[in-house]
Amino acid sequence: MTGQINRLPSGGIIDRSRGVRFTFDGIVYDGHPGDTLASALLANGVTLTGRSFKYHRPRGILSAGSEEPSALVELRTGARREANTKATMAEVFDGLESTSQNRWPSLRLDLMSVNSLLSPIFVAGFYYKTFMWPAALWEKLYEPAIRRAAGLGRASQSADPDTYEKATAFCDVLVIGGGPAGLTAALNAGRSGARVIVADENFALGGRAIDDAAEIDGKPAAQWVAAAEGELAAMKNVRIMRRTTVFGTYDGGTYGGVERVSDHLATPPAGIPRQRLWHFIAKRSVLAAGATERPIVFGNNDRPGVMLAGAVRTYINRFGVKPGQRAVVFANNDYAASTVTTLKRAGVEVAALVDSRNAPSSYVSGIVGAADVRLISGAVITTVNGGHKIKSVNVRTADGRSIKLDCDLVAMSGGWNPNIQLSTHVGGKPVWDDVICSFVPGTLPPGMVVAGAASGALGLKDALDGGAASGASAAGATGHKPAGISVPSAVNESVAISPLWRVDGCTGKSLVDMQNDVASSDIELSNREGFRSVEHLKRYTTLGMATDQGRTANVNALAIMAELTQKSIPQTGMTLARPPYSPVAIGALAGHHRGKEFKPSRRPPSYTWTKENGGKFNETGLWLRPSLYPKSGESDWLDTVKREVNTVRSSVGICDVSTLGKIDIQGADAALFLDRVYMNGMKTLAVGRCRYGGMMREDGILMDDGTVARLAENHYFLTTTTANAVKASQHLELCHQWLWPELDVQMISATEQWAQYAVAGPNSRALLQKIVDPEFDITDKGFPYLQVGGITVCGGIKARLFRLSFSGERAFEIGVPARYGDSLLRRLVEAGKEFGACVYGTESLGVMRIEKGHISGPELNGTSTARDVGLGGMVSTKKDFIGRVLGDRPGIADPDRPALVGLRPVDRTARLRSGSHFLSRDAKPTAENDEGYMTSVCYSPTVGHWIALGFLKRGPQRMGEIIRAYDPVRGGDTLVEVVSPCFVDAEGEKVRG
Amino acid sequence: MAKSTLAAQSAFTDLKTSKHAALTIEVLDDLTMASIASSKGRAEEVKAAIRAAYGVELPTTPERVTGKGIAFIWHGPDQWMAIADRGAGMRDIEVELKPVLAGIAAVVDQSDGRAVVRLSGPRVRDVLAKGVGIDLDPRAFKSNGVAITHASHIGIVLWQVNDAPAYEIAMFRSFADSFATWLTHSAAEFIGH
Repeated sequence: MTGQINRLPSGGIIDRSRGVRFTFDGIVYDGHPGDTLASALLANGVTLTGRSFKYHRPRGILSAGSEEPSALVELRTGARREANTKATMAEVFDGLESTSQNRWPSLRLDLMSVNSLLSPIFVAGFYYKTFMWPAALWEKLYEPAIRRAAGLGRASQSADPDTYEKATAFCDVLVIGGGPAGLTAALNAGRSGARVIVADENFALGGRAIDDAAEIDGKPAAQWVAAAEGELAAMKNVRIMRRTTVFGTYDGGTYGGVERVSDHLATPPAGIPRQRLWHFIAKRSVLAAGATERPIVFGNNDRPGVMLAGAVRTYINRFGVKPGQRAVVFANNDYAASTVTTLKRAGVEVAALVDSRNAPSSYVSGIVGAADVRLISGAVITTVNGGHKIKSVNVRTADGRSIKLDCDLVAMSGGWNPNIQLSTHVGGKPVWDDVICSFVPGTLPPGMVVAGAASGALGLKDALDGGAASGASAAGATGHKPAGISVPSAVNESVAISPLWRVDGCTGKSLVDMQNDVASSDIELSNREGFRSVEHLKRYTTLGMATDQGRTANVNALAIMAELTQKSIPQTGMTLARPPYSPVAIGALAGHHRGKEFKPSRRPPSYTWTKENGGKFNETGLWLRPSLYPKSGESDWLDTVKREVNTVRSSVGICDVSTLGKIDIQGADAALFLDRVYMNGMKTLAVGRCRYGGMMREDGILMDDGTVARLAENHYFLTTTTANAVKASQHLELCHQWLWPELDVQMISATEQWAQYAVAGPNSRALLQKIVDPEFDITDKGFPYLQVGGITVCGGIKARLFRLSFSGERAFEIGVPARYGDSLLRRLVEAGKEFGACVYGTESLGVMRIEKGHISGPELNGTSTARDVGLGGMVSTKKDFIGRVLGDRPGIADPDRPALVGLRPVDRTARLRSGSHFLSRDAKPTAENDEGYMTSVCYSPTVGHWIALGFLKRGPQRMGEIIRAYDPVRGGDTLVEVVSPCFVDAEGEKVRG
Repeated sequence: MAKSTLAAQSAFTDLKTSKHAALTIEVLDDLTMASIASSKGRAEEVKAAIRAAYGVELPTTPERVTGKGIAFIWHGPDQWMAIADRGAGMRDIEVELKPVLAGIAAVVDQSDGRAVVRLSGPRVRDVLAKGVGIDLDPRAFKSNGVAITHASHIGIVLWQVNDAPAYEIAMFRSFADSFATWLTHSAAEFIGH
């Protein structure tokens, strides 16, 4: 361990009183709270941090922010290992383990860098061109090989042990960015009383004011920032959100943000999420997201030690770290010249300021004069010499000579790109600004104003002024008038610039997009091959597509393409930015909704009893319905189903049917309304009676079925299927609100009010007589089939009793207020013991309904008519109802349409499979000969073999015919006999009596 | 009502009333509730009947009104939810309201159809912000305000009871446990697991 050899003796806003110890590639280093991983590595003299994506070129730290394309590392280990983290954004903490990525076997000796020697063939579009044929090899050979050689970090294969959250925050003014412009915006908006949120992606506020160590109000910037932060923190109407990236602009003043709540900690404290996704709903927003410095494109401009000039100032001023010992500054603008002063102050030798402009401005002359640094005007760096570390640079002077300057650090600046992304997410088009040579926001999203560097106002004074005015005006627009605008004093830096995009005549690769290894030569190739539109350029070369979203690359690339096609940059255009501004973890997008909480689930009243008794569940929509109650000794589900079905048919069973939709319908026109929505008559239903009913869609297709009970003259209670409950309810509301608003009908969902159990089997009455209070007569005479009535149970609990049967047995449905549902089930089970009663689930329910030929989901499938499912006789001809007119269309009234039949295998031991298609016995298995298909299949314990329902062409006229059930997918070809869909008690005698 | 031995079950399997400095969770299991939907064109009569019986004016905007021992929550155009404590006397709002609103409104028992919790304390808004997309800042949402919205994908009706602040949230009963999982997850930061 060599210690923090590059840590300056003083300065920066790190906590020097405390240390943190971390590792990089297994070596232990020290840093301070307030360091990023990048600043701490630089302090320890580590400049080589990884290998590039495609060519495995050695890479170091380019920037000091979220635009970083090169210094990508893996953090942590085990299940928390995360790939491709920007070292420039990661805060160091005690015990942090970090590793370089994309190298093998080690960072210094990377055998994969052979890719770099092969780079002439690894050009843009290389994969598509080289691995085209044979296509079969793509999946097996090419892709795995390429993935091993290219790509970046490794994802953890384990489940993420941390939690994530989503939250919503509302404000009058959302200030995006906490730099000088953001702070004056927040201060002025906050002082007006408006509700303000100021969010910054960094863990410290201050932005470039701190990075440049400028003076504000005659004080060091850090002092002014601390005071501003203090004032904001004291305002109850202001919320400061650090480590929070606003990553997207959406409609209606909605902004997406991600707060890295615990990323800076080894593990999140108990109860605290790792990250939190925010929906910000803002009446107004101030975009003060700053600007990103551009590299210049020259030979080996991606070598470790070549940094953005602004980042060099950040490491010195904010972190107290000198990134090198001897620097060359290379720039095309005035602003970067201040780097010379900063470097000298930090004790870094400055070999020269290489300024690409021929005539030095007085601003630059002043700086180099005061610093006593050599200025080489009209010159460019052509090549960086050195691999893992810079040794020197070759400079081509104005008169064409090549000189070599020894150095270990290059601070480059090609100018600044305003961070305009959030202004373009909802379609805003940026405009070109000749003064700063970059794009600035054009049309803005509704409610947004832009301030500071994001608007192109790069100078500090302009940023402070613009922020203050924007904050005040944004607050004003929400009805909060500030007393006056207050702006601290500051001086603008000179930002004069003459464009220089790339240096010609270089040796070594000149990188444009460093993360995706796209070089200047790739853009030339793209142009030669005709991919000149910026959108084509992007897709052909993958430029701008990586996790840095090409923030250091895009404008340079456009400028180079403009030069190649001899167009202006605005003519060349700009690729549109889409959210997110920087990567957002999938975990944050999922929030609470993962695993079992992926979506909410609904628990029926029998849930707890079912769990206690080893019952299984299946999902019906959001409901968890009990499906099966296996007993010990039963070897599979079929054993259980056989027992349950036999118990019901021979004695009695209990089934939770609470999940069926229940709608209470009242009103003077309730009967008329139901007559219009049901295909069968409901007006004629007597009070105290139930009727099976079907609803059609407007197009004549069956929509849902269920029962209708008439509780009083103007009071009905209807059930829907579990799966269609919401749809049926919406349909009824639509009919009432839109088609017949004049009707006096009130519809209220009562699904959840009632715990309802089917009690089915010959002993159902005997069982219920032990539950229903004795004053209620439930004999067949007192309570015949299809009767409904209010009763009390278990000593006065109000209840409803329905004489309904889905199983075909004598059966009742009993409903009690849901809070008694659990207790009633226990009581029924207890009372049922003397009858050997069982509780059964949806599996046995399904078997018994197939045995009876009742339709369910597979038949009620959105393509079948009443006639198709054998309910043609129920369709009223005496009244109008929804679906009647279109139900008579020739197509769906065609007598040739497949209609419901029952099927049994000729060989009674054969198994049937749903989905099998029907063929006439001697027909060839072709699509033209297809005559329908099996919809529902089960093993029937009652008849002792497999049975099925299905839709068969002219089925009802083909009783007794032997046909083929053809199932090529599963190799099935079975002879089946066409029979009535009702396999049990065809006369329907058992439900009565 | 006669004395039944059938035990009532909470809608929440695991969630219990718990008090913390940051947040208090109260499970309100002993409520009686009923939906009221005015018959066509009879809303004024419904209001008059409620005024006469309980001395309160039914709201026509998303608000809650309280009378002696009863509250009415706006639930949609010409629709309300009546809510009261059931108590030892086994008060039944459906039974109580039916004669008051006979012929002018549908009254449907919901005492068991909804699970209700009351959340209060200094961090209640921070907890609710993690699943409810409604601005509950006192500038935007006041005591007796009502919102029909959702919490973590679960449909809810939420109303503010007082400026403590305390809110009550009603949801379909079967969602209670999913809601509780979300709530305890979201509150963990303030009250621990």
